[in-house]
Amino acid sequence: MITQQVLGKAIFETIKKASCCIPGDIEEAFQDSISRESSSVSKMALEATLESLQRSRETSLLACPDTGWPLFFVEVGDEAVVEGGLRVIETASKRAVEKATHEGYLRATMKHPLTGEDPGNNIGNNVPNFTYKFVPGDTIKLTFVPKGGGSECFGGTRYQVMAFADGLTAIKKFIVDAYIAASRAGAICPPSVLGVGIGGTSDISTKLAKEAAALRKVGSKNPEPEIARIEEELYEGINRLGIGAMGSGGDVSVFDVNVEYAYTHLAGIAVAMNANCFIARRATVEVDGKGNIKEHESPNWFNGR
Amino acid sequence: MAEYHLKTPLQDEEIKDLKTGDKVYFSGEAWTCRSKLQKTVFDEGWKLPFDTREKNLLIHVGPVIIDEGGNWKLVSFQPTSSIRFEKWGPASVKDLGLKAIIGKTTMGKDSQEAMKKYCCIHATPLGVTPTLFIERIKVKEVHWLEEMGSIEAAWILELDELGPFLVDIDCEGKNHFDHLDEKIAANRRSVYQEMGIPEDFEYTRLY
Repeated sequence: MITQQVLGKAIFETIKKASCCIPGDIEEAFQDSISRESSSVSKMALEATLESLQRSRETSLLACPDTGWPLFFVEVGDEAVVEGGLRVIETASKRAVEKATHEGYLRATMKHPLTGEDPGNNIGNNVPNFTYKFVPGDTIKLTFVPKGGGSECFGGTRYQVMAFADGLTAIKKFIVDAYIAASRAGAICPPSVLGVGIGGTSDISTKLAKEAAALRKVGSKNPEPEIARIEEELYEGINRLGIGAMGSGGDVSVFDVNVEYAYTHLAGIAVAMNANCFIARRATVEVDGKGNIKEHESPNWFNGR
Repeated sequence: MAEYHLKTPLQDEEIKDLKTGDKVYFSGEAWTCRSKLQKTVFDEGWKLPFDTREKNLLIHVGPVIIDEGGNWKLVSFQPTSSIRFEKWGPASVKDLGLKAIIGKTTMGKDSQEAMKKYCCIHATPLGVTPTLFIERIKVKEVHWLEEMGSIEAAWILELDELGPFLVDIDCEGKNHFDHLDEKIAANRRSVYQEMGIPEDFEYTRLY
């Protein structure tokens, strides 16, 4: 049985890690971009950011003060037993968010959308937010994503329905145009990890885009060749636009493009994009019934990517 | 691209030298705000309890500052996006007499006009570097902490060579990003071509 104490501790440490320690694939993306960036301003922005990130990891200081929306993505083993029931995943997560906020590992950023009331602990209606998958086994695997306001509020999230008559051309145009608009003056903190969701209802496409941006490793490829080709084409195309780090002009405009899709209605194709900040934060932990806690470098949310 | 090191209070003569694309570092006093404070000042008429013509460097930021045994400790600092305060931009320049505003992104046409008329610049951070910034900032005092909350209060900070920032709007009213927009639009034409997107493509209207 997974005890509340073990689960709570594992979640708290995962929040702290996500907020302060940049994942390895993102650090590699920085290093790779620095080595091929020809604009001195963009290169300087990438180098200074990487230095700050390395220091954040050593000193357990926030990688970015905007720790954004607290989002949990949980893989629940179909034989997992949690002390007090599965709902403890949520109560323990909320307690961990509150503790992390009080200890400075999350900024108290969440507030009431209309009154502006600030609970001071990032806990409120529908926040933190939880997404679940059932998987074989007896473990709980949880990924915490502090999703920054820059990438989420300033045009990094878009959605449009295309006619089948317009097809892939419309999809590509939409993503390129939307990314240019959202990157202006560094609004979404480019070079982003760009997620694209194709098909499904509006919420399915936006959810896929979010998960593709926040949960897939930089450098991962969609296993279906046709989808991988779209990823590659968008990645190459966007990197020829000259947007650069923080929109200051340069060679590296996007760290990666990850595309996921869902079957859709024969009437139209929903297309959504979601950008993750170049400081793409996430951390994953897996807890089993014997009390073992295992950290994972990647959420591996999409079955192998 | 020139590099400047300025000390507050900022003077018109030194601000006039800065051009879009230049790098700038700031020392001396600065103050902070976000939406809530600007709403109360510009829409509800509250009067700031300090002289903004003397403290004429504003940073759009919601710092993370904790009370450590009676001392303020700056834990994290990264300017936030200025463009969303555009509504209050012209008044910030005209009524408060600011000479420089630091914030992420940039500001809009109305602010640019006001900056040209009253001699003020906007500067944007090069990268996301909170742990580098906090070593160059001391917290001096805070105003309206209870009214605004810690993140949105007016913190008075002492800066020591804080930067580098990229000058994106200068006193001539030019915007660095307008210039980049043109370059990106030109690149987009060739990217469209390579991706097989017709220049005159129009989406089928579904509603």
